[in-house]
Amino acid sequence: MDLINIAVIVKLEPDFSEGNVSYNPDGTLNRAETKNILGPHSAIAVNAAFYAKVKHGAKISIATMGPPTAESMLQQAQLMSDADELYLYSDRVFAGADTLATAEVLKSGILKMQEKMDIVFSGHRASDGETGQTGPQTAWKLGMTFLGNVIDYEIDPAKRIVRVKRFVRLQGIYDVVEEMEVPLPVFIAIDPSYKPKFNTVSQRLAYEKYQKEARVRSQNFKQYLKVLNALQIGADPKLIGIAGSPTIVYKVERIPKGKATRQAEVIDGQDKEQIRKVVARIRQSLSTMVIK
Amino acid sequence: MEKYDVSIIGGGSAGLAALKRLSSLGKQAVLLEGGEKIGSKNISGGILYSKKPKKGKAYNVEDIYENFLTDAPYERKITKYILNATSKDKVFSIDLTAAHNYEANFGCSVLMNKLNNWFAQQAEEAAQKQGGGIVSGVHVSAIRWEGEKTIIQTDELEEIEVKAVIAADGVNSEIAYMTGARQKFSPSQIYQGVKVVVKLPEDIMAQRFSIGPDEGAAHLFAGDVTLNHIGGGFLYTNRDTLSVGGVYHLDSLLENPAEPYEIVNALLRNPMISEFIKDEVPLRGEIDKNVAKEEQMRIRFAVTKMIKTWTELRDAYYSKNKREKIIAEGKYSSAEEMESQLSSIRDQMSTKYGIKFGTDYIEEEYSAKLVPDGKRCRMEKPYFKNILFVGDAAGRGVFVGPRIEGLNVGIDDAARAAEAVARTLDRNNFSDDHLGQYYLQSVEQSPYTHDLKSIDKDYLKIFLDAAKDVPKDIISSKYGMVIKMMSSKTLRNFAVGFANILGYEKLLPIIETVDTYVKVPTEIAERLGTSMSSSYTPTIPSIAQRIAKLKYNDDSKSHIKVLKPTSEFMKKMIVLCPTKCYFMEKEGVMIQHEGCIECGTCSEETDWKHPAGEKGINYQYG
Ligand SMILES: Cc1cc2nc3c(=O)[nH]c(=O)nc-3n(C[C@H](O)[C@H](O)[C@H](O)COP(=O)(O)OP(=O)(O)OC[C@H]3O[C@@H](n4cnc5c(N)ncnc54)[C@H](O)[C@@H]3O)c2cc1C
Ligand code: SF4
Repeated sequence: MDLINIAVIVKLEPDFSEGNVSYNPDGTLNRAETKNILGPHSAIAVNAAFYAKVKHGAKISIATMGPPTAESMLQQAQLMSDADELYLYSDRVFAGADTLATAEVLKSGILKMQEKMDIVFSGHRASDGETGQTGPQTAWKLGMTFLGNVIDYEIDPAKRIVRVKRFVRLQGIYDVVEEMEVPLPVFIAIDPSYKPKFNTVSQRLAYEKYQKEARVRSQNFKQYLKVLNALQIGADPKLIGIAGSPTIVYKVERIPKGKATRQAEVIDGQDKEQIRKVVARIRQSLSTMVIK
Repeated sequence: MEKYDVSIIGGGSAGLAALKRLSSLGKQAVLLEGGEKIGSKNISGGILYSKKPKKGKAYNVEDIYENFLTDAPYERKITKYILNATSKDKVFSIDLTAAHNYEANFGCSVLMNKLNNWFAQQAEEAAQKQGGGIVSGVHVSAIRWEGEKTIIQTDELEEIEVKAVIAADGVNSEIAYMTGARQKFSPSQIYQGVKVVVKLPEDIMAQRFSIGPDEGAAHLFAGDVTLNHIGGGFLYTNRDTLSVGGVYHLDSLLENPAEPYEIVNALLRNPMISEFIKDEVPLRGEIDKNVAKEEQMRIRFAVTKMIKTWTELRDAYYSKNKREKIIAEGKYSSAEEMESQLSSIRDQMSTKYGIKFGTDYIEEEYSAKLVPDGKRCRMEKPYFKNILFVGDAAGRGVFVGPRIEGLNVGIDDAARAAEAVARTLDRNNFSDDHLGQYYLQSVEQSPYTHDLKSIDKDYLKIFLDAAKDVPKDIISSKYGMVIKMMSSKTLRNFAVGFANILGYEKLLPIIETVDTYVKVPTEIAERLGTSMSSSYTPTIPSIAQRIAKLKYNDDSKSHIKVLKPTSEFMKKMIVLCPTKCYFMEKEGVMIQHEGCIECGTCSEETDWKHPAGEKGINYQYG
């Protein structure tokens, strides 16, 4: 049985938690002051890859396009997944890339990886103003079958297929679960609701073993890291950076606040009487609600 | 079904020691722990002892983990041990270091989350070599026997088959209840322990307690700070935190109910303790409500960030190790530079954001757990079929006077259980009671079992001797007789002899009374104590604030079911639950389980289980 090869594309994002994020006086994000971390959606993709490592001992390669400081994020991703290889595509010429130009870099990078990938994972989307396009565009450029909104997957290494469950919209109804069997290789954009499940003691022991290995590896992450520029990944200069970006962000505007129609009432949480009244009100509202 | 040789249930200090020992003996064992991570459910006071008993041999922590003294993240070696009698603002201190050193190699303060994680690392490494390991976030829900097979069921994973089980699932052992190996402990057999962890920078602590970098102090408290309950308070120095709490007999709490957090608050408000815990703290200014909402938010975030930066730098500055590390990393060139950076951040904080600095204390974590009083509740037969019970699960803990020892006892039990299991695996003889009987014999030889059965007269004498300097002139007081007796050598020897003649069982009701724990110390403090005053009033968080600070993995289902909503016991739980989970409704007492910290206090009259794997309380200190 062949080793399963997995690549994950991840993205550096600002840490929006209180105490880490800084804003400029005009309300925009102060990028220089704000810490950058592995984006939450990317983290889920990394988790999905780790699942294959625990279950099948898959080989994991994690790649990102970003500034040299993105190294520490790859280290973080390695800590989560015990990745075998880390790739940072970093080059001045990548600057100003939109999602399409980013996809070009990632595609070139993935094609340069040692093995042919069985699965490439991406996050659902980024939380700092992205549109969820990088994943599908990379898949398209790689010519891989794209599976979006995947909430669960199982690899069958012997048959070389993957069974996935994904959310789809059917006749206007959201979150219908579609199950499908697809031959490898595939590109999977993982849904935020994905949660890996390990149901046997042996899987859980393997999980612990790889986690431990990951801690050791991530402490020496540079041994696993390759920093590559445009030339090294053989990206077409016309398709990367500003040159390869058809989208230009003209201006980011704050979405005006809608007029609130709710009437808020301040309740003292310490006061039992007041809380009782709240409960009574909720009960009342519920009783008048008709579920169609 | 997957098969393993041994399963250990519960990853507290006892279960982990069993795993380490079994693995070192070359046996395959998997440890199943309910908490999300090792250490998330364990709390202690605590001082971990290593003992050298005059008779018999105890397995000490460093026998299990050879590198304990060099590598383990224990907090401080306790070098000063002081009993403080209190009465209002008066305190009379008695040096009990001799009692602390009695039969001890050392005693060190510990925080269970950190320590158990280290134990787990060591144990797991050894276990992996034998094809075993640790699985956390798994709640064992049942054990059943099918012919020769012993099958372990969990809420989360597929069943496994094992040859033997070590139950190290703590004081509220479901394994013990469901097999009927023992009854639930009754209130007269247990203490309720409650604790808060308080932050205090390392160097400030060293100076305040007059201790060197590797030394530590332990203070015990008796008298009116107990709010008239049998038991006592403690304050232990950790590396850069203090553990402050109390351990009180549950029947005494039921008799005279008081909110557990109020008992802790009484300690915190004692002027001696207030002064021990105080620190300089930044106080946020009011944010101008007239500026735009976005600006208010920006200021709030910026303030949080500044306070965080200042606190982190200050903690590092006041810690020799951290200071040296930061300088070695090149972040700062010298301590002076750190100091000037600190004061410049401080200036910015006050000028830019109106942050003031004042004296207060910083509480990090509130916790509670039952503690078995081993002399009243140890399992006489600590096994059931091929399950061996160890540590708190077996009700084994030595609590005599100021002696609070559960950790070392559990480790000793665990080593004995591991050896019994290893031997039985070698002989492959699991028939009848072979395993259990062998373990029982070994446990009976433990010096701790001896301590649980009878009072050690040498220890008692040290204790009585310590009181010899109490002046005789308080003869006129109500309890003067007792004190006078203790100040006479002949009478002290007589008391020891008398104690022996009377025997342990008869002696306990005489020793463990409100008189000895509360009235005598109060009287002593009242008459001989020094008045103390506190330079500030500590801002004690409300119970709601304390709960809000704790980390939980929310469980939608309640792991506790009220069985007798109108019983007197349950009514008292409204007061005695440390996190106020119980309240009165028309139909009787109801539970709101979300804030439950799984202490077990309400267990006697409820259907009590630990939450499903990963769920529930997640202690950061312990
Ligand atoms: C306030 C306080 C102060 C104390 N002070 C001291 C002191 O100074 N010195 C001292 O030596 N001792 C002290 N003790 C006692 C000591 O802390 C305990 O004896 C010791 O922690 C018990 O360890 P254990 O491993 O037996 O149990 P625990 O630490 O309680 O571990 C039991 C573990 O089993 C897990 N578990 C339970 N049920 C299941 C299940 N069904 N499936 C899976 N996992 C399960 C739990 O999650 C838990 O992690 C103190 C205790 C308290 C509360
Ligand atoms: S509800 Fe939870 S916290 Fe309250 S007494 Fe019971 S076990 Fe302890």
